[in-house]
Amino acid sequence: MNILGISCHYHDAAACLYKDGVPVVAVQEERCTRRKNTSAFPIQAINDCVQYGGITFADIDRVSFYEKPFLKFSRVILDHVKAWPLSLPGFLTTMPHWLEDRLILPLTLEKEIGFKGDVSFVKHHLSHAASSFLVSPFDEAAILTGDAVGEYATMTYGCGQGSDIKILREIQYPHSLGLVYTAVTTYLGFAAHEGEGTTMALASCGKPRYLDKFREMIKVKSDGSYVIDQRFFGFNKGDRMYTPRFLKAFGRARKPGTTIEERHCDIAASLQKVTEETLLTVVRHVHAETGLDRLCLGGGLFLNCVANSKILEQGPFKEIFIQPAAGDSGGALGAAAYVHHCVLKNPRTYVMRDAYLGTSYPDARIRNILLNHNMVFKEYDAEALSKFVAQKISESKIIGWFQGRMEFGPRALGNRSILGNPCNPHMKELLNDKVKHREPFRPYAPVVLEERAGEFFELSGTSPFMLLAPKVRKDKKAVIPGVVHVDGTARVQTVSRETNQKLWQLIKDFEGITGVPVIINTSFNLRGEPVVCTPEDAIACFKKSGMDYLVLGNFILNKVENFRP
Amino acid sequence: MDASNPKIELGPRAVCQRCVLPESKPDIWLDGAGICNICRDFDKQNNGHEQVKFLESDFIKILNQNKSKGKYDCLIMCSGGKDSTAALYYMKKRYKLNPLAFTFDHGFETEDALENIRNAVDILGVDFILFKSDFMKEMFAQIVRTGSKAVLCHPCSIWYMGVTFDMAARFDIPMIVAGWTKGQATHQPLMSRCGCNAHQAEFVSMSKATQAFLDQYTQENPKYKDFPRSMEEVLTLAKKRHKAMVVSPHWFLPMDAGVYVEILKKELKWKFPRLSYPGLSTNCYLNFISVHNSMKHFGYTHYHVEMSKMVRASLLSRQEALKLLEINFDHGVLQHVMQKFDSVKGLK
Repeated sequence: MNILGISCHYHDAAACLYKDGVPVVAVQEERCTRRKNTSAFPIQAINDCVQYGGITFADIDRVSFYEKPFLKFSRVILDHVKAWPLSLPGFLTTMPHWLEDRLILPLTLEKEIGFKGDVSFVKHHLSHAASSFLVSPFDEAAILTGDAVGEYATMTYGCGQGSDIKILREIQYPHSLGLVYTAVTTYLGFAAHEGEGTTMALASCGKPRYLDKFREMIKVKSDGSYVIDQRFFGFNKGDRMYTPRFLKAFGRARKPGTTIEERHCDIAASLQKVTEETLLTVVRHVHAETGLDRLCLGGGLFLNCVANSKILEQGPFKEIFIQPAAGDSGGALGAAAYVHHCVLKNPRTYVMRDAYLGTSYPDARIRNILLNHNMVFKEYDAEALSKFVAQKISESKIIGWFQGRMEFGPRALGNRSILGNPCNPHMKELLNDKVKHREPFRPYAPVVLEERAGEFFELSGTSPFMLLAPKVRKDKKAVIPGVVHVDGTARVQTVSRETNQKLWQLIKDFEGITGVPVIINTSFNLRGEPVVCTPEDAIACFKKSGMDYLVLGNFILNKVENFRP
Repeated sequence: MDASNPKIELGPRAVCQRCVLPESKPDIWLDGAGICNICRDFDKQNNGHEQVKFLESDFIKILNQNKSKGKYDCLIMCSGGKDSTAALYYMKKRYKLNPLAFTFDHGFETEDALENIRNAVDILGVDFILFKSDFMKEMFAQIVRTGSKAVLCHPCSIWYMGVTFDMAARFDIPMIVAGWTKGQATHQPLMSRCGCNAHQAEFVSMSKATQAFLDQYTQENPKYKDFPRSMEEVLTLAKKRHKAMVVSPHWFLPMDAGVYVEILKKELKWKFPRLSYPGLSTNCYLNFISVHNSMKHFGYTHYHVEMSKMVRASLLSRQEALKLLEINFDHGVLQHVMQKFDSVKGLK
């Protein structure tokens, strides 16, 4: 049974081939088209799924889409009517998309890939729920999903058992914690659907001086639900997501690129704090309602690793699972998994232990590409390569690291990564100056040997998908200053030998030199670009940036030898 | 090769350091860095290695847009080589179509190639037409006899494309499928010039020589008075009779030849021929003479052009291409092929 899961039309378009109960390939369209967060029908990702999945287009038995377009359309129409005439510009912009793309998916499938079979439409939040629970290690768990908005739901909770998912309750639009986070992100001068992580990082630099104001706007009820005061927000009333009342409460919005003031940090801190408080209230309620000890989280809201850590540390659940593509791209996986298990009643056999579901390039192909690009390179065996790279990282050189299958989801987890030395207190500045050009307050993430994680971080379990931000242990802060955020946390990834042998060995070799089993791992891209997908993308990124070495498979390229100033 | 037959020696030429084209002025020249003008133009046009995307879904669209109303979905040009046999395999097995396999033998096809075709059509259960004719033999002989610079393969491809379009018209088939590689293709979704673009710098001198030969020879010989002078003429004539799209699955599929050769060997009893040029190919006997003459007159062959394109697209390494393009036959092979012309009047 080959089920093609698809998510698209809003942001983070993706495709996933779910073959006999296993997600054998999953790819985000942005990686192929090089358009970050693209909403386009994921035709290139679908081609990758078919070809890497070893099937033909004719072998696709069923397509599963990550939401119900007509249900969503009804909400959008109602919303436009309610906000009329302020919603007119939005109405004129979005209606052509609805009529030409969003409501005619079966026709698009027939036109683009010749598919005429069954198409299932799974509710947006059900897709998120499925994307987490059905690939989790839990047989039974509570499920909580949250994002901006699906059809009507903005947050749902329920429980999963075996191959079944039951949604117990949902909070509906316009009461959306995700939309509030995005609205404030845009107010702070960062891009919607992209800058939320920046807001989260900024929050650590401020004090929650505006917490009361946010608590007034987001009123949490005793039943675990919440209400957003719509007088402060206008999610569909023009080109801004916040109202003049919001501006009156918080002052003028920050223009992108302008100075970040203390006020901005404090607003971000207050937003983050109220988000955590609200989520903790919801989580406690979910725990009480379901009586379960394990929790699966899904939806873009749970890419907030600081809130996730609070849920784990302060919430009532013993274990939590967050799928690496927690955002809308993961909906492609969830929609396919839901149909396979919940609709077709197939038992679960797969547990997602790593995120390496994308495309890969054999060394022979990489060699051709390097030769074709007239690159100077050296080939190493795996052992020598690892030792060489570890040595260079210890010398604070910046390494572009391109190995094996690409990650699914927004995080680079060691196969399309830029690596650095966490022991160097100036490494963040070095990475910012030479490669990433990020805001100075944003931290870089560590990847640590799984078996040594507890020594460096206040983390009891694992964090294979970089979705938790535990505290760095006090005695280790001075050892790995390059990855300690201003609040003393780090967005940590744990790596085991079983899930990524090459990365594990590299860290082991780095430890052999420095005594520290941690390195810096940040995504292999430049600011504003998607993470690299192909060796050609990696070479282009290497050329444009100040990375010192590029490691493609077993080949190493030196910047000086290839791109002399 | 027979040790008693002298090796073919072709004078050394400077070869582009990136692709495998030798300097051949005025069409191909190398700059100070040893890179040819074709590679430099490629970089300019492709914005410094912008990747060309080959999507199978584009091929699916073409298949869906050109559905047959008749018995056969497509006509497949089968030479018995790996690429055309793979095209036949894909159309039958991957796309579940009902193809008609079609082979033309101008009298110089090898037994190895014909055996590959027979095995493939038998195992796949595909209807098959073998069109054998010595119609072209005199023209080929004239090129060889006179030492013309015309490339033997050019009039041959003009002829076989004409015959193929005729065959598509006869069976009302809307799609002709070839086994052309990405190195032979120029543009997606279909290539209008059937294999190569005569106006490309790499082909200008070769095309001119063939054109000059055809202009004169077809005027002087009543047998060939209706023979098309160019591929464009073939296409114009074909369009008037019956509209058929020409397409190759290899332009859209990411698999390299190594992958499908293994499938063909396993499933279709396909074999590499004992001797063929370039390495790992299956070409006719006449190809040896064509290659020899092209090397002598121009310093390279159309295979150098094809493989250079593949090198530029990183589908093949330069070293691999150079290895495949090494001359692997001797004068004994050429003499053996020449004997096949013995019956042609006027050839010495």
